[in-house]
Amino acid sequence: MSKKVAPNKGVDFLLDVHTEPLPARFVAPALEQIKCAATRFLEGRLEHGEISVAGTLRHLILRISDVAPKGKDQVQLFKGPKVQAARMDDGSVSPAAEGFARKYGLKPAQLKDVDGVLYAEVRSAGETANALVLRMTNDILQSLQFPKVMRWEESGFKFGRPLRAITALLDGKILPISVAGVKAGRAVHGHPALAKKPAILKTPSQHESLLRQNLVIADPVERRRYLLKALDLAVKNTGGCCEGDESLIEETVFMVEHPVAILGKLRDEHMALPAALLKMVMKKQLKFFPVVARDGALLPFFVGVRDGLSMSNELIREGYQRVLEARFNDAAFFVARDRATSLESKLPLLERVTYQKTLGTMAQKAARVSDMALWIATTLRQTSPVDERATARAARLAYADLVTDVVKEFPELQGQMGGVYARADGEGERVALAVEQFYFPIVAKSPVPATAEGAVVSLAGKCDSLAGCFVAGLIPSGSTDPYSLRRQALGLLRIVLEKQLPLDIDEALERALALQPAGASDLLKLRAQLSEFIWGRAQSLLDEMGYAVDEVRSIRAGALKNFPNAFRRLAALRAVRRDPAFEPLTAAFKRAANLLKQTKADDGLAPDRALLRETADLELYDALVRAEATANDRFVRDDFEGGLKSLASLKPHLDSFFETVMVMVEDETLKRQRLALLNRLVRAFRRVADLSEIQETEPPRVEAAR
Amino acid sequence: MTFQEIILELQDFWSKEGCAIIQPYDLEKGAGTFNPATFFGALTERPTRCAYVEPSRRPADGRYGDNPNRLGKYYQFQVIMKPVPVGITDVYQRSLKSLGLDPKRHDLRWIEDDWESPTLGASGVGWEVWLDGMEITQFTYFQQMGSMPLSPVSVEITYGLERIAMSLQKKNSVYDLDYGGGLTYGDLHKSQEREFSRYNFETADPALLSRHFNEWESEAGRLVDLGDPLPAYDCVVRASHLFNTLEARGAISVTERAHYIGRIRGLARKVMELYIRTRTPEVLGAA
Repeated sequence: MSKKVAPNKGVDFLLDVHTEPLPARFVAPALEQIKCAATRFLEGRLEHGEISVAGTLRHLILRISDVAPKGKDQVQLFKGPKVQAARMDDGSVSPAAEGFARKYGLKPAQLKDVDGVLYAEVRSAGETANALVLRMTNDILQSLQFPKVMRWEESGFKFGRPLRAITALLDGKILPISVAGVKAGRAVHGHPALAKKPAILKTPSQHESLLRQNLVIADPVERRRYLLKALDLAVKNTGGCCEGDESLIEETVFMVEHPVAILGKLRDEHMALPAALLKMVMKKQLKFFPVVARDGALLPFFVGVRDGLSMSNELIREGYQRVLEARFNDAAFFVARDRATSLESKLPLLERVTYQKTLGTMAQKAARVSDMALWIATTLRQTSPVDERATARAARLAYADLVTDVVKEFPELQGQMGGVYARADGEGERVALAVEQFYFPIVAKSPVPATAEGAVVSLAGKCDSLAGCFVAGLIPSGSTDPYSLRRQALGLLRIVLEKQLPLDIDEALERALALQPAGASDLLKLRAQLSEFIWGRAQSLLDEMGYAVDEVRSIRAGALKNFPNAFRRLAALRAVRRDPAFEPLTAAFKRAANLLKQTKADDGLAPDRALLRETADLELYDALVRAEATANDRFVRDDFEGGLKSLASLKPHLDSFFETVMVMVEDETLKRQRLALLNRLVRAFRRVADLSEIQETEPPRVEAAR
Repeated sequence: MTFQEIILELQDFWSKEGCAIIQPYDLEKGAGTFNPATFFGALTERPTRCAYVEPSRRPADGRYGDNPNRLGKYYQFQVIMKPVPVGITDVYQRSLKSLGLDPKRHDLRWIEDDWESPTLGASGVGWEVWLDGMEITQFTYFQQMGSMPLSPVSVEITYGLERIAMSLQKKNSVYDLDYGGGLTYGDLHKSQEREFSRYNFETADPALLSRHFNEWESEAGRLVDLGDPLPAYDCVVRASHLFNTLEARGAISVTERAHYIGRIRGLARKVMELYIRTRTPEVLGAA
């Protein structure tokens, strides 16, 4: 952490690394690194005030206030001989200790005894601020990381883009840095088109205003504010607003140094194109902001952001519109070509698209997904019936848009274009919507498919991708997950949960595995691995929803057989856990479960009332039978909380059982009966959760491993 | 400013910057980078400064003369320099000004766009330059060629002449551009676009094209064995264009495509290696 020192004590430092235009995505991470590196370097070495960074695509700026004139004295300890070895028998100093002390310019008496070992303590006077800041700056320039680096001059120095100038002043003096043929100086380079000559910087404090005068807003936060205001102003008379797209805003902040917003119009003929396509062209191809009404509908306007001043904006608006119209004409050409034939007739083309080397073509994948979708629809027929015809049709068409020109040009529009084309082909709305939402949920928090048919087809696609990639050995590890299987697994879980589908995920995946063309050597092992992988995602999903780790663990058994049900069990447990009587119950449960584990008595023997003896035995037996009956009634109505509460009423009987009878008696029959009784009890609870997983005090929530 | 005046102005500008103004290389090619002045010029250690117009053929981009913005054949103006002059981005900005594109009055943006040609084992880092939203130039610092790191680094500046002309002349269709000499761009190129689109998409004979591809491929290999990189390179350029035509014709499946690219890349690399091996230091760079 930077320490505040009294004002006026030190001087200011400024570093401005002026480059050719850096890619927008490089800038913020570079600034963050510069700030960290400076903080780390100065820690313990040189007193200073605030460290701040700012920057644009052409400037990486570091400012440090109140830099002390001199660095702190440094103390180093060097390990020497042991204390015993330092004294001769006669008490004089041994030659070893003397030599060690001399090496560091000390007398033997000056050596320090730390836990029986002698150390030489060497103090060195702090270096000058100039020397330290110079070294820091060189370190920063040499070690800065970019997503991709380049070379451009003979020294072979690597950086994000070529260095053009370095402004480095400590107080009023130039810091003598020289990198890649560039020597530091006082010149400050303003906007490349608008600033006349480089300005001359006398002291660090003038830097920001000097850049500002030369049309560079150096601070990203301020530039962002300025941009947002400009966008708002530009759309004032349209009745809409710029579509809030965080990534486009962030990119724009680092693409221009002095943003000016220009409103342009779309032509009526282009408004007939799919809105998703129009937005994609504007945002992705031209970095324009679409203008939308309050209800999200696209309005016939866009806002482009130029870099500079409002000078000849009309000329630029014409240019923007010309290029946008050209792009829309291209898009219209693609749409017209795509629409010339139906989705159905495009299916054979999927045979020419490889999905993955060992997993065959997209046509093969489509066939597997159809098979899966039908199977899922059939297994859910009793509980969640769907329009099986529409489901089959949607599954058949789900991948057809991959061979359309629009999706080849904009892969992000997969699904969406399928929906548009399906409607145009006269497919029913149920089919079109399922195709459109096939890839839902697109991101972690975005919606799942709206309809049951959409959900089934989407599940089928995800099961196939997961199973296929596991067979092909593309199992995610660490940060590598090229087929985004984690997202697919999470999507699968969210769909079954939010659509309340009692799908047996394990069974579905087993079937999906069996459908894969490349026979895996060990399907059983893969199935277990896949199940664990899905469960890992389930844990992180439930964790994010606020459930404790131990609670989630306690519902693991059968959780993937019926995930919505598992979720209800979890919610019940959470609710009952708030009851103060719950914790002692958990303790008693654990005692019973441990006893069964030790004796390996989980053999399914049913307790027989006639063979039980003591009052406590019989009372527990009777109470258990009663509680089970009530609980069962509640379980079948999915009232897990009520069921769990009825079982919890057994607590006093279980307590008196443990207090008054011995389980491990000599009488083998009685012992087995008592174990059987406990076994029945434990099983009754396990229909909700395995209470032995529950920790006594609720553990803090931890972020599950990604 | 007419289309031809743009070319004349750029030639004049870069000539004054010390470039040799050379002529287009007389083979069909997809980009000015294939001109030996760039392909071999970037490979050596000797200083290089030249500029040239290069017709670029992209069979798959043809639109029968119907699309006002897409062409199967168009012109690039290419500058190649090494070592890279200090402040080259400013020099480029001045060249725009000489065309009447004052950066103060336009929105000039540098958008990250790295370049990669898997067929040549070549890659570079740079930008596409946008003028009021329209991409008018590719600006690239070559980093690698034939999968070898380049030293010194060359800068390649490729102007899209038609786009610059459309912006200057405020035309919405490339065919309406004033070419000069009393002609429009359409007068000179429209029937060419129409007929070549038909050829590339419909009537080209895939069997003949693929036979030629195979022949030029083996000829290139034979010439490499004989130790003549320049004639071998011509064969590679021919094969590359045949591949582009086959692809436009829809005669290449996805799997075959990767295979074709691999064959061209392999040849290009051999030619490059041979070139470096057979040039003595004094003549290195004299392609």
